[in-house]
Amino acid sequence: MELVRSTITGRVSDVFRNARRALMLLPSGAIFGVLFLAPICYFLVISFWQVRAYRLRPDFTLTQYARVFSEYWKPIVTTFSISLLIATMTVVIAYAFSYFCRFRAGRYGQIFLSVALLTLFGGYLTKIYTWKIILGEAGLLNSALLTVGLIDVPIRAFLYNWAAVILTLVHYTLPLAILPIYGALKGVKEIPLAAAQDLGASKLRVFWDIVLPQTRIGLLSAFALSFVFAVGDYTTPLLVGGPNSSMIGLFIQSQFGHRVNAPLGAAMSFVVMMACIAFIAMAALLLWKATRPRT
Amino acid sequence: MTDRIGDVLWKIFALAAVAFMALPLLLLVLFSFSDSPLLSFPIERLSLRWVTAVVERPGFLTAFRNSIIVAAAVGVVSTSVGTLAALALSSIGGLRAGVVLSALTVPIMVPPLMLGVMLLTYYRTWLDMPLGLHTVILSHLVFTQPFVILVVNARMATFDHAVQDSARDLGANPWQVFRTITLPIVRPSIIGAALIAMALSLDDFLVTFFTIGGANTLPTYMWGMLRKGVDPSVNVAATLIMLLSIGASVVGLRISRYRG
Repeated sequence: MELVRSTITGRVSDVFRNARRALMLLPSGAIFGVLFLAPICYFLVISFWQVRAYRLRPDFTLTQYARVFSEYWKPIVTTFSISLLIATMTVVIAYAFSYFCRFRAGRYGQIFLSVALLTLFGGYLTKIYTWKIILGEAGLLNSALLTVGLIDVPIRAFLYNWAAVILTLVHYTLPLAILPIYGALKGVKEIPLAAAQDLGASKLRVFWDIVLPQTRIGLLSAFALSFVFAVGDYTTPLLVGGPNSSMIGLFIQSQFGHRVNAPLGAAMSFVVMMACIAFIAMAALLLWKATRPRT
Repeated sequence: MTDRIGDVLWKIFALAAVAFMALPLLLLVLFSFSDSPLLSFPIERLSLRWVTAVVERPGFLTAFRNSIIVAAAVGVVSTSVGTLAALALSSIGGLRAGVVLSALTVPIMVPPLMLGVMLLTYYRTWLDMPLGLHTVILSHLVFTQPFVILVVNARMATFDHAVQDSARDLGANPWQVFRTITLPIVRPSIIGAALIAMALSLDDFLVTFFTIGGANTLPTYMWGMLRKGVDPSVNVAATLIMLLSIGASVVGLRISRYRG
């Protein structure tokens, strides 16, 4: 009897507990559903519609996707090549920097790391703008070089080109990439590394066979973050890029500004996001193939 | 010997990397207080001339006020909602919680530009809703909530659920358990999460730009200044955004780590 009663109260409190958990998840789920899932689904639906006489017409056509591939393949290819370059540079620098902070800097590691993470919150527009005033014709770099006497005439070539876009975006994504990589390196134990070295493994060997395989997830997250950020950005090419450095974000953005073709903009967005997923999957595959943990 | 050289090279590299990340921002702050209308070395005199110039610009204080309103609203809503979800997930645990957690954090992986145009289309075309600060606040919840959930959830991973069970065995109801046991332990992480959410909200340009309609927050106001041509008052606006967002996040990270 006692047993039966306690199972019944147990069941009842289980029901209450589950109801309470569901209730606690509800607001969060509502934000996710109403403000993310619904908009993304609607956006997908719209990408199959048409615009006629400046109005959206429900339809089921692949016209927009065909246009994306026939008219906008060039900026898409450019965007992905540049972003690949940016993400690779960022990840290499971020890895080396985090490695230094974790294994070689001793007690200064934390200080170096805090400075890097502080700049994470330096502001998006602020950072882009800063490079504009540094690299500009009447900018800081030129005036510094003139004052020192290294040059006589201001150099124009610093700004409004791909190099400026790459520099600015690497600057923005670097602290973002350090975060997951350092997080992964923190989990690497030092004793096996020392043991491997005592047994005669070279430093490079220890790194490649023991350290790198353990940090693959951090490395991949860093790559994904920087890559997706670079692909989706349009402010940087607009502010510091040249007349020919149009990235796909600029074309997406203009479909919602003066050109008003939401279906085309939606189709572009989905092509770009799908391509991002494909690229990241490919990067993961390569990384997992290239680095195998040795036991 | 080669070790020594290697050591020096590593240090040079790390210093260069830190300088690359921090120096541009320091220069910006410095030039906000330069008296000269030109952005060039050497700095002859420091003054608050451009600070007053910005404050007196039409619309600046409204944009500033809007930024604060949005950040405060986003901080409060995002933190309460995200904390509730994180607490529920930690008590569910296991694979199911993991799946829900990864689903809820997907919005961070969508580029802000796409989030912006997506939400703009949703509000205007589907819901036929006028744009304003309310749509900005709603939109910011989408990408700040995942960070709150992640921060609080990470704290709960090392949380000892046995203390909750003991309190319950001693007759505390769920609300009392939350008030007297869970909240005091998790509070630093919650405050930290709130400040990080506010920092992200203050700094956001792309999502705000598409969902705000005619009004301005600090970043969209700064964008307007940039489009009109660069003068040193832009430095002041940029520095202000940076200090607000760094300030909020530094305090947030310190609080959440210190006792967390």
